[in-house]
Amino acid sequence: MKKSNLLLGLAGVLILISLIAWGYQINKGLIVTNMRNPFSWGLYIATFAFFVGVAAGGLIISSSVYLFNIEKLKPFTRIASLSAFASILGAGAMIFPDMGRVDRVWNIFVYPNFKSPLVWDVVVISAYLLITFLSVYVQLLPDWKKEGRGFLNGWTKSHPQEYVEAFSKKWSKRVALVGLPVAILIHTVTALIFATQESRGWWNTAVLPPDFVSVAIASGTALVLVIALLAVGKDQFEQYKEAFQRMALIVAGSLVVHFFFVAVDLLIHGWWGSPEGKEVLSLIFSHYGFLYGTELLLPAFTMVFFLTKKGKNSFNALIIGSLLLFIGVFAHRLMLMYPAFNSIPLTLAIPGAGIESWAYPVAIGQLQEGVPVFVSSWAYMPSLVEYAVALLPFGLLLFVVTLALRMYNFVPQK
Amino acid sequence: MRLGMVIDLDRCIGCRSCAVACKSHNAQPPGTWWNRVFTPGASFHQAAVGKDGALQMESLPVSCQMCDNPACQKVCPSGATYTDEQGVVLIDYERCIGCRYCIAACPYGVRQYNWEDPKKAKERVGYEKGYEYGYPEDFRDKDGRLVFTPNRPVGVVEKCTFCAQYTSQGEEPACVRGCPGKVRIFGDLDDPNSEVSKLIKKRQPIRLKEELGTSPKVFYLAPAKPIR
Ligand code: SF4
Ligand code: SF4
Repeated sequence: MKKSNLLLGLAGVLILISLIAWGYQINKGLIVTNMRNPFSWGLYIATFAFFVGVAAGGLIISSSVYLFNIEKLKPFTRIASLSAFASILGAGAMIFPDMGRVDRVWNIFVYPNFKSPLVWDVVVISAYLLITFLSVYVQLLPDWKKEGRGFLNGWTKSHPQEYVEAFSKKWSKRVALVGLPVAILIHTVTALIFATQESRGWWNTAVLPPDFVSVAIASGTALVLVIALLAVGKDQFEQYKEAFQRMALIVAGSLVVHFFFVAVDLLIHGWWGSPEGKEVLSLIFSHYGFLYGTELLLPAFTMVFFLTKKGKNSFNALIIGSLLLFIGVFAHRLMLMYPAFNSIPLTLAIPGAGIESWAYPVAIGQLQEGVPVFVSSWAYMPSLVEYAVALLPFGLLLFVVTLALRMYNFVPQK
Repeated sequence: MRLGMVIDLDRCIGCRSCAVACKSHNAQPPGTWWNRVFTPGASFHQAAVGKDGALQMESLPVSCQMCDNPACQKVCPSGATYTDEQGVVLIDYERCIGCRYCIAACPYGVRQYNWEDPKKAKERVGYEKGYEYGYPEDFRDKDGRLVFTPNRPVGVVEKCTFCAQYTSQGEEPACVRGCPGKVRIFGDLDDPNSEVSKLIKKRQPIRLKEELGTSPKVFYLAPAKPIR
């Protein structure tokens, strides 16, 4: 109880800091970020993509229970759905501070342009939010009935306990099965926001959507794993060990697929040897080598670690492996932005001068002492305000998960 | 009617008059340039580039290419970016939600964001107080969409409009009028007898990043200055 108070307090502080920073940003404009015209999406969109990714876990776990009959995972379907709901809530919330005119976002609903992948993303993310909520709701119904509490469940009063149990069972399965394609879609459509843009070579590849799915399954399952471990505690680790090992295996397996996609992607960017391809490769391997190294090495470590006995047999090992994976995946999301924005689409060859690729400078949108107005690359580093605002989804996730775990029973005893 | 422009690079001297005319007529805030002129290959304008002692120095003006297949419009979730009946790609400043998807999508780097309130920006930079420049009134299209206003709302995207406030009255864009070299020719691409159509037929123009399939309505006549 005490620990959860502390966590709730922490979540509250994170949310508060972020809201204050966001208020400041609304007042001053996005000038308080370090994004500018040449680098127009940054930490916010990367964080959004990260949270969309970890939202996958829930329905992957619950639907694999029903689809592949993995009974071992059954005790954790509630936690899985909860983690998915909290993550997608965080992802959705992260989008708003990135909008320069948050007061007008309703225009998306009034005048939707269905050619825009962004509109589709709004649709699938809203659907996923609803489905994950329903998934948590139907699973908790029998408990609520027994304990005589809960919300939106007045209708169960007139039914016997057995009916509610059967209802919950039937609908948990249905929701999980409907949810699975939507879970796949949120990653596909989010990836399509980027992948459709032929102007940005780094994004414009058909491998991006399937790769998003593989990273999402890995990081989403890892989040369920971490929450499940913390909810169960070290003492009961042995009791649920097989379920944890199964999740670790899902994480490792989808990372194998991810690295396959990464390898194919790099090969195709590099093989032709065009100036654009070379530029992207030099950006990721030399200029942003550290970040890219983080993106590759940490998940690679987790992948191998989770395949070994040592990695999947202890509480601490599973937690550490998952945390390293999260850092790696976050770096992966940031690396969506750097190579894409720092290779300017309008590059020209000037054969007479022996120049193969020259980037046409872009106006940054601000006049400031010591900073050129026209640049051909922008050394983006998030500002303090951006870091603060980006705490929002972290705070929300922590808050929702802690509160739910504290109020209701999410690990049903066998 | 499909409005388009031909830019004769042979005549361009790189003086940037068009950029300045554009900036002041359209009241662009500090740091925002709808229209840029650079020396291809050089890290700063008006520096010659070359090898083996053979130097060259061309100039290339770039503003919105008024694509017939505009990525910016297709990605815009709220329909703020649209093409009017004359083929001009415009932004409704009252509808844009500031998501900046269009900036990521446009291959030509012409879209500019209002990172802060333009009035505040002018003040902070130290423009003379009360000094207002550019077309002084709002301009709305025939459906009432706000496509020009002297001080744009904070948080919306802006770019070249082919000077909608002038061309709607049958006048030419500011860059066309402001160019001392008569480099820019503006007109109706659908009219086979317009000067633009004739030049396009006669001079085999190039379009920027043609391979992306954006179908720009800005055509460039390649420089043919002998360097021998
Ligand atoms: S140049 Fe860019 S802003 Fe202009 S129409 Fe084409 S894509 Fe849109
Ligand atoms: S920033 Fe404005 S114009 Fe650009 S895509 Fe978003 S809503 Fe459309």
